[in-house]
Amino acid sequence: MKKLWLSLCIFLLLIAGPAVAEDKTTLVVGVSSDIHTLDPGVSSDNYDWRQIYPCYDRLVKYKVVNGEGSTEVEPQAAESWTVSDDGTVWTFTIRQGITFNDGTPLDAEAVKFAFNRTLTIGKGPADNIGAIESMTVIDPYTLEIKLKNAYGPFLQTLATDGASIVNPNVMQHEKDGDLAQAWLAENTDGSGPFTLTEWTRGQRAVLEAKPDYWGGAPNIDTAIVRFMSESADRRMALERGDIDIAENILVDQIPALEKNPDIVVKRFPSQLVEYVYINCQKPALSDKRVRQALNYAIDYQGIIDYVLQGNGVQMRGPIPKGMWGHKEDLFQYSLNVAKAKELLKEAGAEGLSLTLIYSDRRAAWEQIATVMQSNFRDIGVELNLELMANPTLRDRVDKGDFELCLGAWSPDFADPYMFMNFWFESDKWGLPGNRSFYKNEEVDTLVKKAAVLSDQAERVKLYNEAQEIIMEDAPYIFLYQVQTIVPMRKNVTGYVYNPMLESMYNFETIAK
Amino acid sequence: MAIATLRHHPRFRELGLTVKILGRNPLAVAGGIIITAMILLATFAPLLAPFDPIGISLSDRLKPPSGNHFFGTDEMGRDIFSRVLYGARISMVIGLMVVGIAGGLGTLIGATAGFIGGRIDNFIMRLMDVMLSFPSLVLAMALAAAMGPSLTSAVFAVTVVMIPKFARLVRGEALAVREMPYIAAARVSGAKNGWIILHHVIPNCISTVIVLGTLTLGDTILVAASLSFIGLGAQPPTPEWGAMISVGRKFLMDQWWYATFPGLFILVTVIGFNVLGDALRDVLDPRIRR
Repeated sequence: MKKLWLSLCIFLLLIAGPAVAEDKTTLVVGVSSDIHTLDPGVSSDNYDWRQIYPCYDRLVKYKVVNGEGSTEVEPQAAESWTVSDDGTVWTFTIRQGITFNDGTPLDAEAVKFAFNRTLTIGKGPADNIGAIESMTVIDPYTLEIKLKNAYGPFLQTLATDGASIVNPNVMQHEKDGDLAQAWLAENTDGSGPFTLTEWTRGQRAVLEAKPDYWGGAPNIDTAIVRFMSESADRRMALERGDIDIAENILVDQIPALEKNPDIVVKRFPSQLVEYVYINCQKPALSDKRVRQALNYAIDYQGIIDYVLQGNGVQMRGPIPKGMWGHKEDLFQYSLNVAKAKELLKEAGAEGLSLTLIYSDRRAAWEQIATVMQSNFRDIGVELNLELMANPTLRDRVDKGDFELCLGAWSPDFADPYMFMNFWFESDKWGLPGNRSFYKNEEVDTLVKKAAVLSDQAERVKLYNEAQEIIMEDAPYIFLYQVQTIVPMRKNVTGYVYNPMLESMYNFETIAK
Repeated sequence: MAIATLRHHPRFRELGLTVKILGRNPLAVAGGIIITAMILLATFAPLLAPFDPIGISLSDRLKPPSGNHFFGTDEMGRDIFSRVLYGARISMVIGLMVVGIAGGLGTLIGATAGFIGGRIDNFIMRLMDVMLSFPSLVLAMALAAAMGPSLTSAVFAVTVVMIPKFARLVRGEALAVREMPYIAAARVSGAKNGWIILHHVIPNCISTVIVLGTLTLGDTILVAASLSFIGLGAQPPTPEWGAMISVGRKFLMDQWWYATFPGLFILVTVIGFNVLGDALRDVLDPRIRR
């Protein structure tokens, strides 16, 4: 009998354990997918930035106004700055006394090194700070940056993950001239409030706070990001108290969570859009009539009303609502089976069989994929579905090794450049942004011209012109723009949402 | 051989006796009824199913069981009852195909090994031992993953995994049969090895193969469903039971019916085959029989 009691006690302890072990200083976030790379000079994925961003400082940061993220910036590692009248020469005074983990000071040389490194690597982040022409170190704490041309959102681009300031000493890990890419892909070396101490693939990443961070010690000691691919798992873990914030919960499960008194469900208008990359370089898909047909096949309203439970709106062109340049009267595809069939017939592409790749990064994608399969069947196109891990998917997208792929995109700074240039410039093929491997010289000219102008009205005109052509060419299927829903435990305070920092967390100011 | 003589063939008289004995075993009757019902459901699925198993209807998403949708609907508004019926088709076909092929090949391999003996026997059986040393699901997973996820590769994988079970059993029987006087007689009258295996060895092992086959059917359906569950088998929108549970478990907390009904069908089918197989083994065992 005693034994029975003992084992019962142990059993109770075991099941009660996780619920009572609420360590006041550890914040756990449950997310849907693993990290791809930790190198700020390489990654163009918010799911990587979630870990990278808190480990580095940048010259400027996004302001928080009344507890809400804004698109305006304020000083971070830069104390102050001046700009020449023509907007092309920026002089930054860098705050003294910031050091990297090994004691190396963060100075003008370090900033120059970090930006040069990103620009030399030339991946997605290089496009973010691509306006930079040259940099001159005036004195150890003064850096002069010369731009190719006046560029409105320049200051904001310095708040993006790609502008993170990497310790110049990282070069001691360089192998075969890779600028330490191999090492930085798995480690962090910045001056930010956190340091990555563990990354177990498929399991979790652990960020340790620096109590002596120059900007003040974070409120929490440790931030743990747990990779849990199932929405149901994340929800259960949140209800049990194993995690404090659950990202990306299926909309169907939100009402039940809202009934739980320990949980708060926060909703934010986002600029996150979900869309389908149509690989324009694949034989059948190089014909724009086929791409248009696919655009006409989708039951947009059904997806929004039922799969999203009304938690989104259909995209109208590439630029989301809330971003300037969004064109309220732009042509929009809608479900039209007859038209789609006619276009396929015209293109001689009847009996087409395509493969859609997707990951479980976004909870609703499995359902979207199934709806697409059914919608495509209605127009006589067979759709095979291939689910894979997000890092694998990104490798395949980068290489153009796919026909159709589900994607999500959110802006890093409040400028239509984030959409019009990243998505359509033909020299940004692959992960940097042009994931449909689309090339139209007219569009190229228009968006490149718009990028270097500072007159907003003139830019809108050019972007509008490009948008008309793009809707006709249909290199993507523009699905919907969602509302971001973040369920968290009631005792989490100070969470700040910023549409420019989608799926990222302000670990440095969050408290629990 | 004409039908008239067939009826009087000793092996068929045996069969009649077997069925009679089985009828006296309540478990066997229960198993038989379940299996017959499943086969009927599978065969007449297109007539019985009230809805298209793959036609989506988003406005009917995740509806609980009702008079219209007996088992409720899934996240695409598809009728789960209809999908489960079509799923029975898939599972039955997979089961019969796998057991047919694996049983046939396994029997042939086992009989050859056991009858010929020596090095060939050693070689074949060590190969089979290696295959048996893997847990069947793990080996099937590896094979299915290597071939790329599809129903065909799942069937192939499960077949390969099941072959050694039959081979080992039949080999044991063949070893005993080899020593029988009628084999010696056949040899003396000039019969070749192949002829003896086909006409004497295999027919004498057939009852054990039937028992194992019935028992394996349940196992096969389970392994195939598991492969689909982890995404290596049937691909959407195929209404396979394992695949349905796989998606259904994401909704388990709020929509219990989604994963429950396909799960129940797997449970009942596997129990049916196992019970019938057990009863068959008892009946066909000569020590119990006489």
